[in-house]
Amino acid sequence: MQTYRRGSSFTDRALFIAVALLAIIWIAPIIWVVGLSFKPNEVLMRTTGGIAAPPFTLKNYTDILASSSVFGWMLNSAIVAIGQTVLTLVIASLAGYGFARTNFLGRNALFVIVLAALAVPEQAIIVPLHTMFAMFDLHNTYVALIVPRVAFPFGVLLMTQYFRAISPEIEEAALLDRASRFKIFWRIVLPLSVPAQVTLGIYTFLHAWNDYFWPLVSATRPEMYTLTIGLASMQTNFAQTEGIGFLMAQAVFAGLPVLILYLFFQRYIVSAVAGGGSK
Amino acid sequence: MMLRRALLPLAVTALATLWTTPAAAQPKTEITFARFFGACESDYGSSQDLAHARGECGVMTTLVNLFNATNTDNIVVKPQIIEWGPYYQQLNARIAAHDIPTIAVMHTAQLGDYTRYVEELEPVFKEAGIDPADFTPNARAGVTVGGKIYAMPWDTHSWLWHFNVGLFKKAGLLDATGQPLVPKTVDEMLAQAKQMKEKTGKPYIIIATSGPGDFANSARGYYSWLYDQGGSIFPNGFEKADFKTPESLNSFRVFEALAKNDYITKGLDGSGGLGGFLNGVGAIYMTGTWRIDDFLAASAKPDSPLAEGYTTRVFPNLFKSQAVWTDNHSWVLPKGGTTPANRKAALIFLKFMWDHNFDWARGGGHLPARQSLMTEYAKLPLRQYVVDIPTFGRALPHDVRRQFGFQNMIGEEIANIINSGKTADQAADAAQERSVALLRGR
Repeated sequence: MQTYRRGSSFTDRALFIAVALLAIIWIAPIIWVVGLSFKPNEVLMRTTGGIAAPPFTLKNYTDILASSSVFGWMLNSAIVAIGQTVLTLVIASLAGYGFARTNFLGRNALFVIVLAALAVPEQAIIVPLHTMFAMFDLHNTYVALIVPRVAFPFGVLLMTQYFRAISPEIEEAALLDRASRFKIFWRIVLPLSVPAQVTLGIYTFLHAWNDYFWPLVSATRPEMYTLTIGLASMQTNFAQTEGIGFLMAQAVFAGLPVLILYLFFQRYIVSAVAGGGSK
Repeated sequence: MMLRRALLPLAVTALATLWTTPAAAQPKTEITFARFFGACESDYGSSQDLAHARGECGVMTTLVNLFNATNTDNIVVKPQIIEWGPYYQQLNARIAAHDIPTIAVMHTAQLGDYTRYVEELEPVFKEAGIDPADFTPNARAGVTVGGKIYAMPWDTHSWLWHFNVGLFKKAGLLDATGQPLVPKTVDEMLAQAKQMKEKTGKPYIIIATSGPGDFANSARGYYSWLYDQGGSIFPNGFEKADFKTPESLNSFRVFEALAKNDYITKGLDGSGGLGGFLNGVGAIYMTGTWRIDDFLAASAKPDSPLAEGYTTRVFPNLFKSQAVWTDNHSWVLPKGGTTPANRKAALIFLKFMWDHNFDWARGGGHLPARQSLMTEYAKLPLRQYVVDIPTFGRALPHDVRRQFGFQNMIGEEIANIINSGKTADQAADAAQERSVALLRGR
């Protein structure tokens, strides 16, 4: 990571100031959200300014923790997010390696179909998807919450591009040593792709953790709610006007695991945002 | 012999246990109860104290707690709480997936979309001991579609003007008894608004119009003034909407006149609107019946801008005859949600709710659905001004589907008038065009 040094050129300084300003602008709403989450709802009905001035309260957080279901919802979210992440990594890696390194009939056409799927919005397939899972009586199960998301076109694309960038000579040497294709994949290529795996894993986990729409229509029994659906269900009809502190506490609470994940894996997340996996 | 002696006390204990715990042998009947209104376990986790329950969530949670604790039929009501916004999308998904709740809450404005999927309830009421003759006229109209009753009405909610009496006093707009002068015509209203602005420098009306969740606010005002004129957006049948009737244009023009002269707040969201009224930003807040107790509580605080007085009135009739937008919460039995085993339990729970309708009105902030409760209801603070709403309130027509779609579209066009300077005619044209798409899927 590069750091700002004294004596840098004027352009560097200007760039530093601009980036710092942008960071402040970006982080201000988050600080505001956290600040509001410690304010009583009655106070926020009148004004949402003055987050640094008392009174403060922990009630918004204790209200969340008082719900007997909240840890169940968190567990559901964890199972779904981890399940989706693991399965996505397996499928995207295998598919990506297949597209990058093997020749088979219709490979390019299939790859185009995968790419085309990137352009299909989730809402366009929600009805047939829901109907299909209803036919198999799978709603309100982990299978329904995990499976529709594991065919992740972006993941296949990312892994394909990554595998293509790895020098084929390493594999050719292994082939000469009569290693099987799967062995080459498992022993040589997969370890080399760890940065991309981590990037894709984090991306998938965050997406799964924050997912709202599909769990909303698939997990309709409170015991199967994920954290996003469960927390939203706690909102009153006038939450946006009379329960703002509670609403903000929900946002902070739901975001905490993601924040912790970010602290541990920020290098990979940054590289994912910057260009799809460090090499 | 020794073995027999040893076993005898065990056998006696087992028999005694069975004898003294007959309830344990009786199976529990579970019914699912899909609703919004939020969850508030921290405040009302196991409370059965209805007298102290406040707010929709508080009363609803307490009612279910009370029923589960006191019913003698071993019925367990399991709430399935869903966020208000996507409630109907989820209900649709559940119906499609045959994961159907036993009882579900429904706005009567939505009922027209669901008649194929919910049970007709008139025959059920007799079985449950609920007397439909006690429905208020508004509640009856709300739950009746094509002459058949499809829901048990739970309340009436409507649209009011909430007054900052202090600002009205400063503007010289109080009558001899110290009550706000309520305008009777559009001109009178605009004159009052002008006077308010000149004397206090503040807008006459506060309204939230800036977000998708706020569009209903102005639409309810539009509907109320449209109904005052005897108008409808479907003057020639439900196949085609008409937003360019004189009545409709008049309604749009009221907002245009208010906006053009800065007599109405611009660009506020729901939170800003509520905070604005509580902070004395404007004189009148257009919002629902459910806010009365909040504003009364605020006005009781000495440092509140409402401390000089707060009152409320029915949405004013500026045209021919008093009418106002209303909607109702109601309870439906979705088809396929009950089984022979839990059907009786569902009816017992509905009857329990019916018997506690006043608790909902008192704590939840809505008008009761039962005519027999109106006298008692009118004794609650300021309710004498709103108690007649069920006699002249008008619900949205059931024969048109996607009523909430219409509501949002109208509200969006009025928001365009208020916030972006669109003219009333332009808004009516746009609404006309957009209504075609909304009706296409009827």
